[in-house]
Amino acid sequence: MKFTIKRTVFLKSLADVQLAISSKTTIPILTGIKLEANDEGLKLVGSDGDISIETTISSTDEAAELVIESTGAIVLQPARFFSDIVKKLPDDTFTLEVLDRFQTAITSSSSAFTINGLDANNYPRLPEIDSQEAFKLPVRLFKQVIKQTVIAVSSHESRPILTGVNLTINENQLKAVATDSHRLSQRIIPLETDQGKQYNIVIPGKSLQELSRILDDQLDDFEMFITDNQVLFKTTNTFFYSRLLEGNYPDTSRLIPENSATQITLDATTFLGAVTRASLLSHEGKNNVVKLTVKDNSVEISGNSPEVGKVQEQVAFNSIKGEPLELSFNPDYMKDALNTFGPAEITLHLISPLRPFVLVPSEDNREFIQLITPIRTA
Amino acid sequence: MRISILSPTLANQIAAGEVIERPASVVKELVENAIDAKSTHITVIVEEAGLNKIEVRDNGEGIPSAEVARAFERHATSKIHSDEDLFRIRSLGFRGEALPSIASVSHMTIETAVEGSNGKKMVLIGGEVVEDISSSSRKGTRVVVENIFFNTPARLKYLKTLQTELAHITDIVNRLALAHPTISFHLIHDGNHLIKTPGNGETRQAIAGIYGVDAGKKMRTIQNTNLNFSVAGFVSLPELTRASKRYITLIVNGRYINNFLLRNAVVKGYGSKLMVGRYPVAVVKIDMDPLLLDVNVHPTKQEIRISDEKELARLVEEAVSKAISPTRRIPNALENITSGQSQHNKNTYHQENIRFIENNELTDQNKLNYFKENRKDELDTTVDESKASILVNKNNEEDHQKQDTSLSEQGELTKRSEKIHDNENTLAIVDRLMENKAKKTDGEKPFPRLDYIGQMHGTYLIAQNEEGLFFIDQHAAQERIKYEYYRSTIAEEGTVLQELLTPIVLDYPVNDALVIKEYKVTLEEAGIFLEDFGQNSFLMRAHPSWFKHGQEEDTVKEMIDFLLEKQELSLAKFKEATAIMMSCKRSIKANHYLSDLEARALLEELKQTKNPYNCPHGRPVIVHFSTIDMEKMFKRIQDPH
Repeated sequence: MKFTIKRTVFLKSLADVQLAISSKTTIPILTGIKLEANDEGLKLVGSDGDISIETTISSTDEAAELVIESTGAIVLQPARFFSDIVKKLPDDTFTLEVLDRFQTAITSSSSAFTINGLDANNYPRLPEIDSQEAFKLPVRLFKQVIKQTVIAVSSHESRPILTGVNLTINENQLKAVATDSHRLSQRIIPLETDQGKQYNIVIPGKSLQELSRILDDQLDDFEMFITDNQVLFKTTNTFFYSRLLEGNYPDTSRLIPENSATQITLDATTFLGAVTRASLLSHEGKNNVVKLTVKDNSVEISGNSPEVGKVQEQVAFNSIKGEPLELSFNPDYMKDALNTFGPAEITLHLISPLRPFVLVPSEDNREFIQLITPIRTA
Repeated sequence: MRISILSPTLANQIAAGEVIERPASVVKELVENAIDAKSTHITVIVEEAGLNKIEVRDNGEGIPSAEVARAFERHATSKIHSDEDLFRIRSLGFRGEALPSIASVSHMTIETAVEGSNGKKMVLIGGEVVEDISSSSRKGTRVVVENIFFNTPARLKYLKTLQTELAHITDIVNRLALAHPTISFHLIHDGNHLIKTPGNGETRQAIAGIYGVDAGKKMRTIQNTNLNFSVAGFVSLPELTRASKRYITLIVNGRYINNFLLRNAVVKGYGSKLMVGRYPVAVVKIDMDPLLLDVNVHPTKQEIRISDEKELARLVEEAVSKAISPTRRIPNALENITSGQSQHNKNTYHQENIRFIENNELTDQNKLNYFKENRKDELDTTVDESKASILVNKNNEEDHQKQDTSLSEQGELTKRSEKIHDNENTLAIVDRLMENKAKKTDGEKPFPRLDYIGQMHGTYLIAQNEEGLFFIDQHAAQERIKYEYYRSTIAEEGTVLQELLTPIVLDYPVNDALVIKEYKVTLEEAGIFLEDFGQNSFLMRAHPSWFKHGQEEDTVKEMIDFLLEKQELSLAKFKEATAIMMSCKRSIKANHYLSDLEARALLEELKQTKNPYNCPHGRPVIVHFSTIDMEKMFKRIQDPH
């Protein structure tokens, strides 16, 4: 295998693929990056077993100035070390050639490296997805869905299914739900095409986070393919594979309350400010708890950590409907949830001090919901 | 100033200050006398931790009635006769100090008789004889010490609580019992039987009598000799440990001693198999020509001088390591659970949980993973290879299995039998089995082949084989793999030197400087080149390149301090610490999902390591539920109660 390529173009693809490569793995070859030169172009592959990213630099891409002299494949490891070398090379272009016994020569201008590679045949093969059923998804909207739901994903492997985001596709809508059993995020978006098929899958939260980093905002849309245990997100040049979590996602549809006793509308950013200030104190105390007191015409956030001190703040609001109420919650959950709304007016729907409460945009048609469980005090 | 000779009583009281520190010292001296008198049964009865009364009864030779009075004179002893004897001491006592010292600070009654003649009873208060009559002629000696320290109130005040004093007494009786398995010891405190050893010459049974039957079963024999020394005894499996080195009993020519170097040698013999801060239970008996030994260092004789101590330490270390390495060290999961159950703090704050309505559909078992399927072939080949290697050992293993089961049956039996007497047979069987086992396996029992089942909580891997169920801590496992890797790569690091612009000046006191000069070559091997710079100073112009930047001076000083203290270089230790740190940092953590392929790769790699059983910090990597354990848990086999 021998090729010459423009460094900046190569590094861009390399950075994408590196997102999938972890330095901590039990399969040593996965710390490396696989390079494969074929008739179509140069393929870069990285994987940590969960996520695999494959990106191709096409021979026809003029900006890449790619010249393939001979085809073949090699694994270079660790990937970080290889990318550092390429970053520091002196010339605009560099040449990579595989010599005997997987020795790989990297030359650029007057600089020459020879590093030890591994046989690409030992690299795990990527899943084969032959599904023809693709969903077309808008990039920016889907990235928003990820941002809004992934916060509620559980970080504990004790209930593996909750470490993912549940996607249900039904007729022409896609519903994303995540919960760590203390809070829940749900977002529904319309789909352009109706496949006439139903899907219910759980994608690891971490995979979605990485996907969100790799999706280019410049693109309009991308495709999603689903198989029994893998999902593939495909843009023009890049394939992003993720495993799916096995098992059944709990039924969350009945968790979202229909009615509420108290409704408060306020500005998300203002409320976020107040909760963040109160959390400064609660983080120092033993219990991370903040109290919300709703009266006829006041909304108050307060915290009391006997070891540290007290905080109290009147929160500006737009309207209050319903009964006075007092409830306590974990300010971190509230902060995460408020962050997903951006600068918008939201409505808090409260039922009782011990029942979960929801946050929705005031312009709501129930497409986006954040649900948080309160903390029982005393 | 007038100079006068002290009265014998006063002289004895002064000697008592050294010999008789606390009630336990009295027990030690009296029991040692009983041992020297060739007794086979020694009974120690104490009241109020010995403050009220200490009674030692034996069936030894006794003292002829005409000579009893003489025993209370200072420097009167039956144990040595000429100055040559002092260098060939086989007995425990020899100074002729104990009896008069004890008598001088207490009320003492002694009753003794030799075989075939009338006995004698003598009562002394503060060393003065107040009664002297003949008595019955039971062979042996009975000494009763009451009101100890009655005339030295300062010493009495200095005593600790009753528990502490009793602990000291039990400790000394334990040690003596371990040193003399042919003697049956019996310790009774306020009517409670605390210790009883069978006295049939089996050290393992003495250990069982003292540390419990379970401990007795977990002991392995050690054995090693060279021209000067012979080492024998018992050390515990790495899974049986204590928090202090006190459970290492060293016995030299039948005498319980304290020796830092030899205790450390026992610990060193375990290598990295012990957890940090944990020490084994061990009884190490060393026999040597008394000429190589000077016991006349301290009146209590616990400190001794041994010629060629280092040689002996090496011998001990080797013996321990030989006994420990051939055992397979996967601890039994049930025994590894400590009884201390964690108590959750009751919090008045309670985070509400979402109550899920669980889906009822069953998971579709037929869903096949492309990712898995594609790689299946590769996996199979590796499994086949390991199968082949297992087959070779199969016959051997089957034998072991039979023994293992019979062993645990024996274990059950011993647990139920309360009396030590009953244990004698079973323990003897255990002993024989151990021996058989040792003969059959030359090397270490291979790490078992494991079939991966799944992962729990992103932290533990579950695997099975025909011997039962295994749990593996994934972080610990990879830590071990990485540790062995880094240790070997770090060890390869050459002594490349970094030149310094301004040399480091090291000042040491004269005696240290001399030692440093003596070990100059050793230091140079480690890449530390010191130039003489004035009388007690050295210059270092370059340092090994692996020194951390900014810590050069500290590192070299630390290494030299280690050299001064231990007379050996800490290079290996330094590198080991670095390897442990790197391995921990670069390993997958808990709460981390592993795919099937990754988990299998991890188990396969673990198998290749030299010590797959412990992480570098000494915690277990793998625990085992035997098939029998599982069957018992589900009451498939009934406990025969």
